[in-house]
Amino acid sequence: MLSLLPQLLVSGIAIGMLYALIGLSMTILYRATTVVNFGHGDLVMAGAYMVLIFTIHVSLPFIPALLLSLAALFGFGYLLHRAFIWPIIAGPHLSLAMMAIAIGYAVRGLVRLEYGSEMAKMPRPFEEQFFFAYNTVMTLDEITFCVVVVVMLIASYFVFSKTRFGRIVQAMFQTQRGAALVGINVRLYNNLIWGVGCALGALGGVMLGLILVLDPDAGVWTLLRGFAAMTLGGFGSLYGAVIGGLIIGVLEKVLGTYVSTAFIDITCYLVIIVVLLVRPRGLFGQHATLRI
Amino acid sequence: MKPTRSLFWLLPLAALALPLFINPYHQYVINLILVYVLVGVGFNIVVGNLGQLAFSNVAFFGIGAYASAIFTTQLGIPWWLTIIPAGLAGALAGCAASIPALRGVRLFYLAIMTLAFGELMRWTYIRTPFLTGGSMGLTVPPAELFGWVLETETQKFYVFLVIVVVIVVAVGRILESRIGRAFLAIKNDERAAAAMAIPTGRYFLLAFALSGFVVGVGGAMYAALVGHLSPEAFDLVQLILHFAIIMVGGLGSLVGSIFGAILITATPELFRDWPGFEELMFGIVIVLVILFLPRGLASLLARLHPVFKDRYLRDD
Amino acid sequence: MRAIRTTFQTATVAVVLAAASGLATAEERGVTDTTIKIGNIGPFTGKAAIFNPLNYGSVAYMRYVNDLGGVYGRKFEIVLGDTACAEAKGIAAAKKMVHDEKVFMITVNPCSGVAMAAKPTFLQEGMIWSGVSANPKITGSVGSGGDGPPPEYMFHVTPNGYFSGVTMGKFIMTKPGAKKIALVAHTNDWARGYCDPAKDYIESQGGEVVLDTAMERGSTDATAQVLRIKSEGVDGVLGCLYQPELVVLLRDAHKYQLGAPVIGALGADFGQVVQQVGNPDAVNGVFFQGHLYKDKIGAPALEWAKQILLKYLTPDELPNEGDPTHFYYFGMMNGVGVVEGFRRAGRDLTRESYMAAIESMRSFDNNISAGSVTITDDQHVGISDMYFNGLDENGDEVIFTAYGQPLH
Repeated sequence: MLSLLPQLLVSGIAIGMLYALIGLSMTILYRATTVVNFGHGDLVMAGAYMVLIFTIHVSLPFIPALLLSLAALFGFGYLLHRAFIWPIIAGPHLSLAMMAIAIGYAVRGLVRLEYGSEMAKMPRPFEEQFFFAYNTVMTLDEITFCVVVVVMLIASYFVFSKTRFGRIVQAMFQTQRGAALVGINVRLYNNLIWGVGCALGALGGVMLGLILVLDPDAGVWTLLRGFAAMTLGGFGSLYGAVIGGLIIGVLEKVLGTYVSTAFIDITCYLVIIVVLLVRPRGLFGQHATLRI
Repeated sequence: MKPTRSLFWLLPLAALALPLFINPYHQYVINLILVYVLVGVGFNIVVGNLGQLAFSNVAFFGIGAYASAIFTTQLGIPWWLTIIPAGLAGALAGCAASIPALRGVRLFYLAIMTLAFGELMRWTYIRTPFLTGGSMGLTVPPAELFGWVLETETQKFYVFLVIVVVIVVAVGRILESRIGRAFLAIKNDERAAAAMAIPTGRYFLLAFALSGFVVGVGGAMYAALVGHLSPEAFDLVQLILHFAIIMVGGLGSLVGSIFGAILITATPELFRDWPGFEELMFGIVIVLVILFLPRGLASLLARLHPVFKDRYLRDD
Repeated sequence: MRAIRTTFQTATVAVVLAAASGLATAEERGVTDTTIKIGNIGPFTGKAAIFNPLNYGSVAYMRYVNDLGGVYGRKFEIVLGDTACAEAKGIAAAKKMVHDEKVFMITVNPCSGVAMAAKPTFLQEGMIWSGVSANPKITGSVGSGGDGPPPEYMFHVTPNGYFSGVTMGKFIMTKPGAKKIALVAHTNDWARGYCDPAKDYIESQGGEVVLDTAMERGSTDATAQVLRIKSEGVDGVLGCLYQPELVVLLRDAHKYQLGAPVIGALGADFGQVVQQVGNPDAVNGVFFQGHLYKDKIGAPALEWAKQILLKYLTPDELPNEGDPTHFYYFGMMNGVGVVEGFRRAGRDLTRESYMAAIESMRSFDNNISAGSVTITDDQHVGISDMYFNGLDENGDEVIFTAYGQPLH
């Protein structure tokens, strides 16, 4: 059984890349606005469905469909923040959480109206291929995941630490009020960040669409994986979310294979609970609990 | 204020005559509303009154329901004797859910953690088939009250009504007391409350336990009403239903919980002929309420007549 | 004054007489000289909405019969009811059918949890129920997954989960030398409704279920399941899974070169699964699935059913893309059986005459299913047999009666 370990690591890391991307997109939202988007999972799925609509119903090739889908989700994220989150940003946190949940739920309902009674599969941009090495196998999909996520991570690192936009966002993470005082258009930047976060999530959804038959309910599942990655990595930490996602991906495989397949589905819940009880700041995050 | 409030007693009194005018289908929906009144009232204690983002309500509900069902099926205890134990099981779950809060986990962290707790409970129902029937679900024998079997919806209604009135009145008293004021103080400013020598930890525990108890009793009623428990019934869709009740009804408002339960449970039944739109409508309604009626239906009713105002809420 | 009283008395007498005469000619609930009211309940919303083609398949056949003039001049008046596949909402749908709509019978009802929760209501009200939900506890009696006599007014004119599961077990056990079998199942009542009877059957035949693994809905891969199964070296895998996860299982079984056939339950459409796996090597000669019908979907023998589906369903009720999936035919199988009951019951339609008609079915050929329908007073599950479909080396669909034994 131990000989399976390299394979588990490889496929665990590959699927972990997906969790990492979703965690990363949620972290970006959180960093800018300190709001956690509880409806993120449904928007991730919406990204995959948009590609389906653009390729099947509008008959576009895959790449333009992908770009249009990301643009659509960027616009949706922008509007979502502008029209629904910003007006209540000063209100109780519960309202913010519920707003996101309600919008996600409505999106899910909309998807289900059209695709509820059938199983749709997103068209593939390339044929599935297998690569064998040292007794392990990897698919082209999995390699794609790794490349996309690494590129996205480098890009976010660059944007957040090297550009003016990134520094402004960093400033807003420290204090929105202070940022407003020095003349930053906080609302605009928050809108943009929500757009970017949703587009990045949608990219995760499209990657999910490569390996899965689309399901309007997959959003909840996605959301919890993203949360777990974020929690383990530490809220607000970009590379923390990525490392967290990878660890959870591997942990699911290892627990599922060596302990019981019953544990696959609760790995992320256990991670969330253990981390928040034992080390609430996660691996790389900042203070997370209230001390009185 | 005092004399007009006694008018509230007309509500259950009028309800007593209700079964004469309606058929068992409508009676069933009303019974379901009574279950969700307790769900809303209990949930609102932690979320609305204590002001904590705790998403563990479905776990309390499920634990109450399964506790009642397991006591009846495994130990042969009549249903009415399982009501209190089901509430206590819920209260115990409430205490467990308050541990992270006691350790200083707040806001989104608490939300995510309690969400994970709820999902973990659902997994537990699946993985303990010797108690819960596992994935196949657990069929509960008809509820029994002092040897009297609750077969019809009307019989269930009268029993449920008594339970709900007792609990709602008790919760109202608690919220109006020093305890309720301490909850509100913590909600408004936890540090200030602690500075005023309010033992916040103790009140956290109390609020979660009370919430768990009330929702757990609701769970026992659910078991008696529906008669078949399956783990899938206690998923995140159920959580959204609970949220809708308190959001639409009004956060922190006892009156709101009641009207929220009525509205959220009954409306989908009225719109049965347009299936498919439910999720979309639900989402849109909650969005609209948050944007335009942030204190829910309760604030609207309070404007209509002061009798609907919760006395423990300030006039802001 | 006296005149008024007389008038009043006369009126009272008239009302009483009218009421009495009404009673005298009172017909069965939900039945008039020209209509029969049918409650068709199922998941029109919620996470199990993928199963509502079962409802529409049944609807299509009844609309077709209506078009031919109905049964004994009575046309079907179909009332749809949403259960969302949730117990609390499902009971409300059932009670609305019984007390508000006052239907003659309730039909289709996918989702075992809802059927189990509403069963006491049906029994209490003497409501006729003909559904497709898998749980053997709904209509099963000794020999069909239950443990007593069948419920008085409830029956399947299709197989239930018990027979579907047993048939899956039979199929894999006819593979020469088959002994060690693994299960991959969702943790819900639907999946256990198939996999548990299959497991019992395999063990009763001297086989061994060496692994019973879980795969949750929404799983992105089956690495852990497949690698564990592979290390056990099994002769076959039963996948009690819905379509998305069955696709994932097949893909990973190929990826990790599992080298054992995978047999899917009825929760997926064979043609769509093959298409969505998207890799002939992963399915040809490896993937088999329970097949309820007398021939391939799309074969000439089933063309009549397809024509009815296309003609009598609206574009909203049909899939957005492609031909009707197997669930539509499954639903229609239920519709044909239910209508046959009305044909046999004759003009004097009552609950009793209808049930007597249903219980008179012996090897009734519904022209659609692999097995014929036999219902007796102590056996209320009509169909106990099915075929399997798979792909040969060239990727052509083949119907099998047992492992390696093609139908044609």
